[in-house]
Amino acid sequence: MTPRERVLTALKRGQPDQVPWIENDVEEEIQIALMDGRTDFTPGEFCRALGMDAFGYHFPTGHTATAGQAMQTSGTASAKEAWYHPKRVTFDFIPPWIADMGTDPKTGRTFVKHGLLTSRDSLKLFDEFLPDPDHPARYDQIAEWLAKYREDYAVFARIRLGSASTFESMGLDVFSLMIFDDPDLVKEIHRRFSEWSARVVQHLNKMDFDFIWANDDHADNKAPWVNMEMYEEFMKPSQMLVAKEIRKPWIFHSDGNLFPILDGLLTLGMNAVHPVQPAAMDINDLKARYGDRVCIVGNIDLDYTLTRGTPEETEAEVKDRIEKVGKGGGYMISSANSITDYCKVENVRAMSRAVKKYGKYA
Amino acid sequence: MASEIETIRDWVIKGKRKEAVEETRKALAAGADPGAIMKDGLIAAMSIVGQKFSSGEFFLPHMMIAARAMTEVVEVIKPLLVGEAAQTKGKAVIGTVAGDFHDIGKNIVKMMMEGAGYEVVDLGVDVGVDKFVDAVRKEAPDFLLMSALITLTMESTRRTIDALIAAGLRAGVKVGVGGAPLTQKFANEIGADFYGADAYDCVQACNRLVH
Repeated sequence: MTPRERVLTALKRGQPDQVPWIENDVEEEIQIALMDGRTDFTPGEFCRALGMDAFGYHFPTGHTATAGQAMQTSGTASAKEAWYHPKRVTFDFIPPWIADMGTDPKTGRTFVKHGLLTSRDSLKLFDEFLPDPDHPARYDQIAEWLAKYREDYAVFARIRLGSASTFESMGLDVFSLMIFDDPDLVKEIHRRFSEWSARVVQHLNKMDFDFIWANDDHADNKAPWVNMEMYEEFMKPSQMLVAKEIRKPWIFHSDGNLFPILDGLLTLGMNAVHPVQPAAMDINDLKARYGDRVCIVGNIDLDYTLTRGTPEETEAEVKDRIEKVGKGGGYMISSANSITDYCKVENVRAMSRAVKKYGKYA
Repeated sequence: MASEIETIRDWVIKGKRKEAVEETRKALAAGADPGAIMKDGLIAAMSIVGQKFSSGEFFLPHMMIAARAMTEVVEVIKPLLVGEAAQTKGKAVIGTVAGDFHDIGKNIVKMMMEGAGYEVVDLGVDVGVDKFVDAVRKEAPDFLLMSALITLTMESTRRTIDALIAAGLRAGVKVGVGGAPLTQKFANEIGADFYGADAYDCVQACNRLVH
């Protein structure tokens, strides 16, 4: 099978020739470290070097890499132009947060200082911050990169369904109070983000992506931030605006423990869920209860194994997940939740070796 | 009077701030002891909220509106608290460690600690080792509570404890740690006094350890 066929088979909960390895994100500094200091590699070279089966996210190809989250921007007029004309190879279609952003001077990571969508008056910020989802430039550029770099890998576009944008742009504290004080404002904010993403998806459906990855954190290790009732009222209707537009297979990403709202989430119709953080969700439990409904992606620990553990521990964890969760197909191995700059290079290489060693189906 | 205080407690649990404040004013007018309102109304309410959050009955929005209702009642009774009733249960310094800008977990802990009757000095986010040590020296808190949300930053908790030892301050303060990548095992490894799995767990630990 080609890597692309492998991924598409798993997304349909089938059993490919081997367990695919895909990542939602690989930060650029560690990409460069894994490529022995090179910055001029193609996505295909990167996948081949490690044995991954898909790519999306962004690459330092030809340009200076910066640490930190490429998805978040500062929401200025120049940021809109930067969104229309990406300088670095990327396959992302993530809207900016409508927030006051900061940058850690030591690492270059951007972070939300505080959300700006805190009142009805602040709704005018949508026009100021969100790029035009129908502007052709970004789609044209990324279509060129897609054609140039895809080879036989599965290529994905990253989007948001609107929930993460709502949480971050309001602030979780303001969101939590506003669902009681001004519920219609919360719904309006979510709807606007979701409608934006729905327009983006309409364009993505016409492009040569193999699947879509929707990044929307809903939870922490303990629980979702909202219960099922709140999810059904405040989030699902707007998320559905995006979900019903998607015409390709898609993966839903959220950190944390999703079990309390998973039945509601699954009505969106995703093909797979990611990353199944070990500290938050038991992947064997997930497979037993939901493995016949959704492909499972993830679970190689980022809190300890890949970042503070050893190559031996990494190999053991990969072997365990492949043997238990990969049985019968419907599983793609992945970190939980990304290969960050602070993963140990030797552990990522150990993961690569272990996937090759244990990943083949008999 | 006990039933009036229970009513205040119940309004706070439900997050009904206007009703809680109104009931508080009525109770005070009828001669209720502000200290009793604080202890049996507010602290009791937030304890129940914490239990419900821990058990999965309450979620973040329920906690936030309850905390807000409590804060508004505190504004009413605070000027009337005298003597022992005006004293807090203890003092905590809290912050998210250096290089980490997540604050929601820290803010929830702060909210629950204040709800439990503690004074909390909030150092914010991206708090370096020196700033934690200076705060412990200046504030002489009962507790230092450190939050780290990503693996990249959690080692700062170890460095802070080491710095407290070097400064001769470690013995005078109980150190608690929490956050997504942290575990009891890590807390033991770095010499913390406790690990809080969630905000209520942290409050319970502080209640056990406070003098």
